[in-house]
Amino acid sequence: MAVGADAQVTDLTAGDHACLTFGEPEDLFDLTAAFVRDGLACGLKVVWVSDSAPQRATTELARRGIAVEAALAAGQLTAAECEGGLLTGQEFDAGRAMDWLTSQMAACQREGFPGLRVAVDMSWALRPVTGVEKLPDFEQGVAAALAGTTVSVLCQYDREGFDPVTLATVSAFHTSSVAAATYYADAMLRICRQYAPPGIRLAGEIDYQHTGQLALALTEAIRFEGDIAVNMTALTFIDGTCARMIMDAARGLGADRAVALHCHPGIAATFELLGADDMTGVSVVSGHDR
Amino acid sequence: MTDDAGPRPRPGMNAAAGDGESPALDQAFDSDSLYSLRAAVAAHGSQAGLSDGRTRDLVLAVHELAANAVRHGAGQGRLRLWAADDAVRCEVTDQGAPGETDAADAADAARWQAEPGHGLWLVRQIADSASVQSGVSGTVAAVIFRRGPS
Repeated sequence: MAVGADAQVTDLTAGDHACLTFGEPEDLFDLTAAFVRDGLACGLKVVWVSDSAPQRATTELARRGIAVEAALAAGQLTAAECEGGLLTGQEFDAGRAMDWLTSQMAACQREGFPGLRVAVDMSWALRPVTGVEKLPDFEQGVAAALAGTTVSVLCQYDREGFDPVTLATVSAFHTSSVAAATYYADAMLRICRQYAPPGIRLAGEIDYQHTGQLALALTEAIRFEGDIAVNMTALTFIDGTCARMIMDAARGLGADRAVALHCHPGIAATFELLGADDMTGVSVVSGHDR
Repeated sequence: MTDDAGPRPRPGMNAAAGDGESPALDQAFDSDSLYSLRAAVAAHGSQAGLSDGRTRDLVLAVHELAANAVRHGAGQGRLRLWAADDAVRCEVTDQGAPGETDAADAADAARWQAEPGHGLWLVRQIADSASVQSGVSGTVAAVIFRRGPS
C-alpha cells in the first residue's frame, strides 16, 4: 500500500475528509464503530454508507457497544446502501453522488443537528461499475464541499483491493489518512490497537518472542481511560509468558477499570488456569461472539 | 537432578510408549521453528485421538518445555512423540546450557521450574504426568497425556 496513516480515527473533527485504509473487515468495522460512536456522543448526525447490507452494518456496530437501536429510532444514525445514494442502478456519476452528499448535509441542518459525520465504504468501486473512473472527481468534490462546515467524511478503502496508484490519487484529496495502529504484523501474528471497544487485538499465534510488542500495545491500552478489551478471538495460540503478561497488566489497573478478555474456549482455558476467574475486574468472555 | 512430585508414569505405560519403539514424531527445534513444532504436535495429538481441548493442552505443554530449552538450555533441542493405545508421551531433550548463564537468566529459569503460573508449573497443571531430569549431558523433560475422558 502507498498510503500511510497520519491520524487516529478518534482524533477526527469537523471539516475533516479522512481516508481510512483497512486490511480486513475487523479493522473496517472497528474503526468505523469508533467514528460512529464519537459522532453520536457529540450529538452529531451519523450516516454510514456500507458496502454490506445495512442490517450487517448495524449488527457490527451493536456488537461493539454502540446503542444502535436508540440512535436509529431518534433519526441520529442512518445505515445506508450505496445504491440510491452514491450509485444509481449500479452506475456512478460524480455529480449525482455529490448531490446526494449535499442533500444529506442540508437534511442534517434542517433536523437541527450541530454537525454530520458520513462514513462511506468505497468497496463498490472494486466492482465493474460504470463511471468508476470518476471516483477522484467525487473525492475532489467532497474536499471542496467540506471546507468551513461542521461535516466530516470518512472514506473507506480496502488496501488489498485497490491498487497503489488509485489509493495515492484519491488520498491526495483527503485531509488525513487513518488506519488501525499496528504494533506488529507478520504472517503468523498481528498485534494492533482496537478502537471500539478500546483495547488491543491479537490475531494468529503469540509466544514469548513477541513480548516486547505485546508490552508496548498493553502499555498504550492502559493509557486510555476506562475499561479495556483484549480481543483474542482470532488468536489460536498463546503461551504462558504472554498470558501472564496480559494478566499482570490487568492486575496493575485501578479497581474502577474492568478488563474483558475475549477469546475462544481453548485460549480461555489458559487464562482460567492462571487464575483469571478469581481476579476482580477481569472477565473471560469466551465463545464465538468475539 | 530435579524431578517432580506429580504422578509417576505407570510402568506399563513407559514400555508401551517410549523405550524401544520408534517415535511417531521426531523433530529438532530452535527459536525459529517453535511454530512448526506446535503445528506438528497439534496434528499428532489430534490423530492420536486426544480431544480438541487436550490437544491444545498438549501443544501448550510441549511449547513450554521446548521454549525453556531454547531460552534457558542449549538454545535448541529435540522433540519425540509416541502415540500409544492409551496415551501420548512427549520427550523434549536438550544438551544443556550453552556455557555462561547470566544472573537474570538463571533467576528466570528458576521461576520457570516452580513459580505458579510459570512454565513447568503450567505444564504440571495440564499434563497427566510430567517429569524433568537434568544431568551433565543436558535435560530430558517428559509429559504424558492420557486419552479418554478427562
